[in-house]
Parts: sequence; C-alpha cells; structure tokens
Amino acid sequence: MASEATTLRNIVAAFTDFLTVAIHTILYERAIYPQTSFLSARKYNFAVRQNRHPKVCGWINDAVSAVEMELLKGTVERVAIVIFTKDNKPAERFMLDVSRFPTATLADLDTPLERKSANGDNISILPKVDMEEQFRATLSRLANCGSTLRPLPEGSTFTVAIELKGVGQAPIAHPQPWMPVEPTKQDDIDGRVQKRAVPVRAVAAGEMMLECWIEEAAVSD
Amino acid sequence: MAQEYTEYLAINVLNEQQLVSYRSLSRALKVHSNLAKQMLYEFHRKQNAKRPGSVHATYLITGTRRPESPSQTNGAHSQEDGGDTVMQSSPPLPGSSAPQHEEDAEEPVSVRSVLLVKEEHLEQAKATFESITGIHIYSLQANGLSDVQSLTECNRKITASYASEDPLQAWKQYGTIQNPNVKRRTQRRGPPPPAPVAKAAEPKTKPLAPTTKPTVLERQASKESKASQESKPASKPTSKPSSAKATPEPAKKPATVKRQDSDIFKSFAKGRAKPKKQDSQSSAEATTPAAAEPEDEPMGGFSDEDDDAEDGAADIDEVPQEPEGKSKKEREADLQAMMDQEDEIMEDAAEAIPDKTAAEEDEGAIDRPVSRQAEEPAKETVTVENGRRRGRRRVMKKKTVKDEDGYLVTKEEAAWESFSEDEPAPKKLKTAPATSTNKPTAAGKKGAAKAGQGNIMSFFSKK
Repeated sequence: MASEATTLRNIVAAFTDFLTVAIHTILYERAIYPQTSFLSARKYNFAVRQNRHPKVCGWINDAVSAVEMELLKGTVERVAIVIFTKDNKPAERFMLDVSRFPTATLADLDTPLERKSANGDNISILPKVDMEEQFRATLSRLANCGSTLRPLPEGSTFTVAIELKGVGQAPIAHPQPWMPVEPTKQDDIDGRVQKRAVPVRAVAAGEMMLECWIEEAAVSD
Repeated sequence: MAQEYTEYLAINVLNEQQLVSYRSLSRALKVHSNLAKQMLYEFHRKQNAKRPGSVHATYLITGTRRPESPSQTNGAHSQEDGGDTVMQSSPPLPGSSAPQHEEDAEEPVSVRSVLLVKEEHLEQAKATFESITGIHIYSLQANGLSDVQSLTECNRKITASYASEDPLQAWKQYGTIQNPNVKRRTQRRGPPPPAPVAKAAEPKTKPLAPTTKPTVLERQASKESKASQESKPASKPTSKPSSAKATPEPAKKPATVKRQDSDIFKSFAKGRAKPKKQDSQSSAEATTPAAAEPEDEPMGGFSDEDDDAEDGAADIDEVPQEPEGKSKKEREADLQAMMDQEDEIMEDAAEAIPDKTAAEEDEGAIDRPVSRQAEEPAKETVTVENGRRRGRRRVMKKKTVKDEDGYLVTKEEAAWESFSEDEPAPKKLKTAPATSTNKPTAAGKKGAAKAGQGNIMSFFSKK
C-alpha cells in the first residue's frame, strides 16, 4: 500500500467491501434468511457468514455498487440497512455514517491523496492493518448485536437505503437504481414512537472514518 | 487474585461486551488454564445470582456420546431384540463374512466427542452423552452467543497479543499440553556479526582464525561432523552470543535461504548426505527466537563445551578423512584468506569452498554448476586503475579430455587468470546475493497477502 498511493476510489472500494460483509452478517444475525443458508468465510482475518443463494448475493452486489456510485459522487451522508416487518414498517435500521469521507470531483477520483501532519510528515491515508483491525472489531460487535436486539417477527425483509447530504443531488436519472422515499414522519398517535439507538463502533483509520449504530423502532403496540 | 479476575471479567464481559474465553483469561492474568476455568465459573455464578441472565456461558463437554439411532444397512428392525440373533437371508456360515459383518455392525459404536454448547442447550447436549468425562466453561459473554464461530476470534487475539512468549517456558504456567520429547530445533544460521569465537584447532583439519563468522563456521562444522547432533549444539552457542533474541529474523532468513540452495546441491554429494541434509533441515525451519534450547537439548552438556564437541566430532571423522587431509588444508588456507575479504564475496566463496570439496570428492554432475560458483575470486588480487579492475583471480575452467577408454570427460579445474574489467564487476556480485534474498521474503509476503484476500471476495466475481 505504501508504493501505491491511495485514491478516493480505493477508500470507497474498501468501504464497499466492508459494507458487503456487514450486510451478510446482519442478514445472518437477524435471521432474515435461514441460518443454514449461510456458509462460513473469512474476511479481515475474521470468521464471517456469507449467504449462499445466488440471487441474494446478486442483489447485495447490485445494491452495494449503487451505493458505491453515489459515494464516488460524494453525495451520501449515511447508508442504512433497514429491516422491515411484513407490514412494511421499519423495525430496525443499521446505520453507517459516511459523511466524513473525503469528497472529490469526478476528475479527481483517481488522484492520490496525501495528508501531512503538523510537522510535515506524511500520514497514511489508509493504514491497512489498522483499518482491518477496526473493521474486524465492528463486525464482531455487529455479530453480537443479534442478542441485544429484540427478535424480529416472522417474514421480515430488508433493504438498503441512503440518506443524502443536500437537496438537488438525488440520483433519479435513468436507469434508476434508487427509489426516492419521503422521510418518515414520527407517528404522533400516542406520543412519539420511541427510537432506541445502540452504538456499535466507530472506525477511524486514516481517512476511513465512519460510525456505526443501530436504531430500533420501539414496539408501539 | 480474586479481585483481579472479577475486575477483569467485569470490565471485559460486562462493560465492553467482549467474548472472554478461558484461554484469554489465563493469558491475561498469567494463571493456569484450569484456574481460569474456575474463575469463569465463579464469575458466571455470582453474576447470575445478582442479576439472572447477565452473563452467558458456553460450555465444553467431553465424553462418549450415545450412538445415533441405527443407521446401518440392515435397517431399524435389526435392533429390536437386543440379544436375539437377526434372521439373515442366508445362514451364517463360517465362511461367509457378510452376515457376520452385519451382525457386528449392530453393536452401537460409542463416539468420543468434544462439544461446544451454548448454555441454553446445555441440558439437551448432556442428554446425548453416554458418559461425560469433562465439562467446563469455555467462554463468557454478556449476551447470548449468536454465532459460535465468533469464538475463533478469541484464539486469534491470543496468538496476536502473546506471540512473544516462548511456549516452551510458558506451558508450565498456562497448562498447555506439552510433549516431553519435544525440543526446539536450533537455528544454526545466525546473522553474521563479528563475534569472536574461539574454536579449538583440531588436528589436521582446522587451522581456523579465531575471528570467523558463525555462518562459515557452521559450514566447517558441517563439513567435518558426520555425527550430526554434535555440531549443532557446538555451533549453536557460537551463534547464540552473536544472535540476540531481538536480532531481526529477516537477517537470518536470507542467510538461511541462501544456505539452503547450496545445501540442496550438497545433499546430492555422496559422502556428505547426513550433515548436509541436516543443514538444510535446520535452515529450512522457521526462525523462532532462540530461547532456552540448551536446557532442552538432550546433549545439553555440549553447550559449554563447544571445543570438546568439536574435538569429539573431529576425532570421529578424522580417520575416514585422512587421505583428503591435504586438499582440505589447502582449502582451509583459501578460506582463511577469504576471511579477510568483504562480506558478500566471502559468503559466496564460503559456499564455493564446501562446494568445491564436494566436487572433488565425487563426480556428481549436479555439483558442477555449484562449484562453478567458485568463480568468485578466491585469492583475488585486484587493483583499480583508471576505472578498470585488473588483477589475477582464480577461475574454474572446463577442460574436456579424452579418457583412456576413449570417453570425453569434462573436468572443471581451477586456473588462474588475469582479468581486466570495468568497475561494476564487484557490484554485480553484491547485487546477486541481495536479490536472491529479497525474492523469498517478497514472495512470502505476497503469498500471505493474496491468500488473505482471495476468499470471500472471490465469490463476488462481478467486481
């Protein structure tokens, strides 16, 4: 990594790898698909679960590529993996805050990034070992989160959502990988729908700075 | 002690919500594994007494498992009456093995198994066991363990954090299972620092200068001793003072890799199979920090008596090598002269010298290319004039002669020649050993990196 300078593309690629593994892990933990359909694999020197069904993998890959496209544009503030119940109500959200990624114009996507410390030394943009270790820790926390959260009702499903930074950058051009969604208003039926946020981990390795937490919609019944 | 572990477990299990296995606990608190298991149990009991369900445990059960329901080919009906003989289609003749076989297969086979169970399934798992030889807590976690494979992370952390501890010493403390016959193989090839080693001058074979580099020394040792073991502890203490624990292993590795190449060639040499093989063995092993080997070696007594060892070894080998003593002396003299040369050249020449011995002793064709390495000037006189090196040097020249039987025999003979070449000549020698050492380490690193990457992402072939 020292010889090859890190570009924004590399950072985004590292993040998308992590995102893929995180989605698989969440699917396993929350038992969206039967746990027997997952096989054990290794990533970042850590045992992870990976779904075997080709359609599932295909869907996840497509979703992650779409996220990658938006990330390269620099418009994404948060990436969310939302778990819906059968009635299309979001039960949980696994949030990944990526607002602190460096942004660059289209032309600069492949320019090597450089950061210098106060005394002029080069700080590593993407320290691989550090990053892997933190990813490992995040995945380990995610994996154990399944026990803290309430069990999901039957027939839950999931999707990937992104929250954008500002207005006017929505990816609604053709072909349309994303569906625009109105921000859900809090239901004020009997007081607010309580949300519970469980922090998972923050990753800070060079320029790879992201935070991860879980939002749980309270049971309103 | 009691406070420590409660505190440690409280922090790690409850606050940080980490997984603590008995192994990590024993390493962290430096206690025996069995004690760690007891600590886990105590903590689990106390915490659950205070607040039920706050701490979950995973248990390890060892025992013999009751067999599964009959899955043999003769089907379920064969087990109906325990003592009854099964009516076979063909009478159980002594000659026919098939029915006998089926009858034997009826007996349940008990399987000794080691099972990791979450505490929820503990009773269930216990029921499947015929007899339990051992049960203990494997790990504790704050919430239930969702994925058993996350326990592997504990072991990885242990190997990562405690890699510096020497397992041969630490096993007593931690209670790891130890094979009493195990001893650490010593790394013979130390990095070549200028450690003064006083070797006794063995008669006829070694008028060695006191300041020899250990690598070359070991070469000498290997040449003489057919009794492999003795030379190892002998040369090892010499390399020991010179190679501190902290000496960079990569420094050792390049040296060892180089030795390996010539060792392979030497292993083809007839009279030298044993010591050479042993060289390649010792150089091929992973370089572990050389710790308390002398105590572990059965011939530990040699550690302080390197001279005696050498003498002993030399004596054994004296007789068979009588006739070649003369040529050896000549070689020793060359070696001596080489000692005063630069490192790289000397190392190559060191390779060359024993290779030459091999070549002269037997006509293995494989040795030829190796001995050609001794093109490096042995007694090189070099003068640098006007950017050109001039001088005399020793070169291996091939001579093809016709034998008495009419066969053409190609012999390599050392010959002196005067040479004149441009400056870069010596640099070529230097770069050659340097590149060869870079390759194994680079290849090693690349291999590791690639292996780490190629697993899960290979599934996502799209990217």
